[in-house]
Amino acid sequence: MTLLEAPANTPLRIKDFLGGEGVRRRLLALGFHRDDIVTLDSRALFKGPILVWNLTSSTKVALGRGVAQKIIVEPDHGAT
Amino acid sequence: MERRKVPVVVFVGQPNCGKSTLFNSIAGPKAETSNFPGTSIKHTHSRVNIEGRLLDIVDLPGTYSLCPSDPAERVALFHLYSEKPDLVINVADASVLGRNLELTLELLELGYPMVVALNMVDIAERKGVLVDSDALGRALGVPVVPTIAAHGRGVKELLDEVFAVLDRGQKPRPLPWSSAVDDKIVEMERNLPDDFALVSNRRFTAVKLLETGGMACGEFLGEIDPGLKVSVLRVRKELEELRGMPAYEVIAAERHHLAMKLLEDSSRLLRGKQTTWDIKVDAVLMHPVAGYLIMAVVFLAFFLIIFKVGGPLEDLFLGPFLRLKDVLAVHMGKGLLYYLAEGLLQGIGGGVAIVLPYFVPLLILMSALEDLGYLARAGFLLDTFLHRIGLHGKSISPFILGFGCNVPAVMATRILESERDRILTSLLIPFIPCSARTTIILALVAFYLGPFWALGFYVANIIVVALLGLAISRVMKEPSPGLILEIPSLKWPSLGSVLEKTWLQLRGFISFAWPILVAGSVLLSILTYIRADGVINDVLSPLVVKGLGLPHDLGVTLIFGFLRKELSLIMMLQALGVNYRSLLSAITREQIVVFTVFVSFFIPCLSTFAILWKEIGRKWALVSAGLSVSVAIVLSWLVRLVI
Repeated sequence: MTLLEAPANTPLRIKDFLGGEGVRRRLLALGFHRDDIVTLDSRALFKGPILVWNLTSSTKVALGRGVAQKIIVEPDHGAT
Repeated sequence: MERRKVPVVVFVGQPNCGKSTLFNSIAGPKAETSNFPGTSIKHTHSRVNIEGRLLDIVDLPGTYSLCPSDPAERVALFHLYSEKPDLVINVADASVLGRNLELTLELLELGYPMVVALNMVDIAERKGVLVDSDALGRALGVPVVPTIAAHGRGVKELLDEVFAVLDRGQKPRPLPWSSAVDDKIVEMERNLPDDFALVSNRRFTAVKLLETGGMACGEFLGEIDPGLKVSVLRVRKELEELRGMPAYEVIAAERHHLAMKLLEDSSRLLRGKQTTWDIKVDAVLMHPVAGYLIMAVVFLAFFLIIFKVGGPLEDLFLGPFLRLKDVLAVHMGKGLLYYLAEGLLQGIGGGVAIVLPYFVPLLILMSALEDLGYLARAGFLLDTFLHRIGLHGKSISPFILGFGCNVPAVMATRILESERDRILTSLLIPFIPCSARTTIILALVAFYLGPFWALGFYVANIIVVALLGLAISRVMKEPSPGLILEIPSLKWPSLGSVLEKTWLQLRGFISFAWPILVAGSVLLSILTYIRADGVINDVLSPLVVKGLGLPHDLGVTLIFGFLRKELSLIMMLQALGVNYRSLLSAITREQIVVFTVFVSFFIPCLSTFAILWKEIGRKWALVSAGLSVSVAIVLSWLVRLVI
């Protein structure tokens, strides 16, 4: 599933990035990598951006919905 | 390497790592801001004397990696590569150390002598992370000094290390990658021609060739000869096959894994303590309902404070200028000299008495909100709305600055990554009522029609900005990359850092806008002296009198007001030959509204036009001027029909 469809407040593991090189590089630079564990924190009103906690790099990043759709995640069951 | 007399030390770090705070605490208020050659992107530099030893220190814009993604980063890195500094101070945020270390590792590859300032160790501790800086230093092979820039802690120790490393001339070595990837890098190194224009060293150049691809770094690695291009593509493909992802991701992953390993080996997590405070506060600040309420209160208070402070200051400053003008009129007669002096005086007076009283408090509050981390949070909350007009949350700080003065607001659009966003934001900024126009709105609409009219005026103004954004983004379709905005940790702003930031921005504004303000004002006085105002009023009367239903004498004020916008109110009173209290004897309330609408939406001022020209080019500056003229005419005409 994409990060946009993922449930809030559960650990998620990043599987893949879709989309163009520009977005992928930007995400990399801000500390998003494959296998990072993230959680979805909150959503702004009216289909606004989502707030993502990256537990691996301990960063908090706001992502627009278009960008969130380009991140493929799965629920993480292991304790990382 | 030739030895320069004064060593050059460059500060490099990721955004929000406290780099500029650290720089400012060393550079002091004498620091100068200048443009990189041929660009409008600024860097701050200063020559400092530390216990008898001189250093030239340079603060580069924050950058996430050494592969740039916005124009500011590109220029900064070009400077770093071509300038060959004697030493790099890498400022790393200890509270986001994993990611910050990725840049540190890249800087080790670059290979200039280096010291790491491990900044914000207090916030890291609050988050439950204890970093052993000595262990980290041993692992990296460069000195690591813990600092808390906001309180000036660790600065002396940092400088001691800087001099020690400079004396030793010690260059760092890159940390080893996994051997499969490393083999490919070595292969690429071997394929570099002997006469290839290297950036620092062969390995760094080889890595950047593989990593940057179509992106900007390639540009300054020189013309790639066809043979080399083939081998770059081949090695890139091999890396891709090796790990099943693009070459740049393979390389980024190497650094990422190294960084995580370094972090693990050198830091301790205090589990129980972790982040409870931050999470609770953020849950409220960014709550889908409470967050917006808090934001409304914050911005309401923000503007209230600015006008509570600015209003009395304006009266205080403006008085002497007006009296001096009267004195001049008595002593100099009505000759050319008087007009020149009057223009000069009004230009300076407008800048000092009207712009500064509102602009300085705005800059101070804005820096405080930024340092606190609130602006990024407001950007998150407002992204939804900005998204509708084709922009996103990052445009929020240029817009807020615009309420103070449009000139620095246009400069601030440089933080936006895509050119389209920069142009769209820059086209909208002139419609944001700056402090000079707000003064007019308050003095005319609020005073003569009541505060609710003024509030309505403001709301209507924001709606107009939104509609324009909607319309322009229909034409400029190219989708922007979407919001990717880091939300930095909340921290108390330090007064010193806020004041220094304010001062730097203020100085930039004064040196750019004031000469233009004064020149415009003098030009207007000359027009009056040669009696061009009568002619202009006659020429404009079909528009002014027939179209907008305003007095004939206001033509010059309306159209040429942009030469001296901050004094539009005074110009209006002079043109009508009345004083402020007796304004209604010359003009009706309805006419006041029409006049204010026109003045608010017309070209803001000559300085704004100049900065637009400089930042987004002649074509878009002219588009902006055209937009302003048409919106002002259409809206004020509509308002006349309605009321």
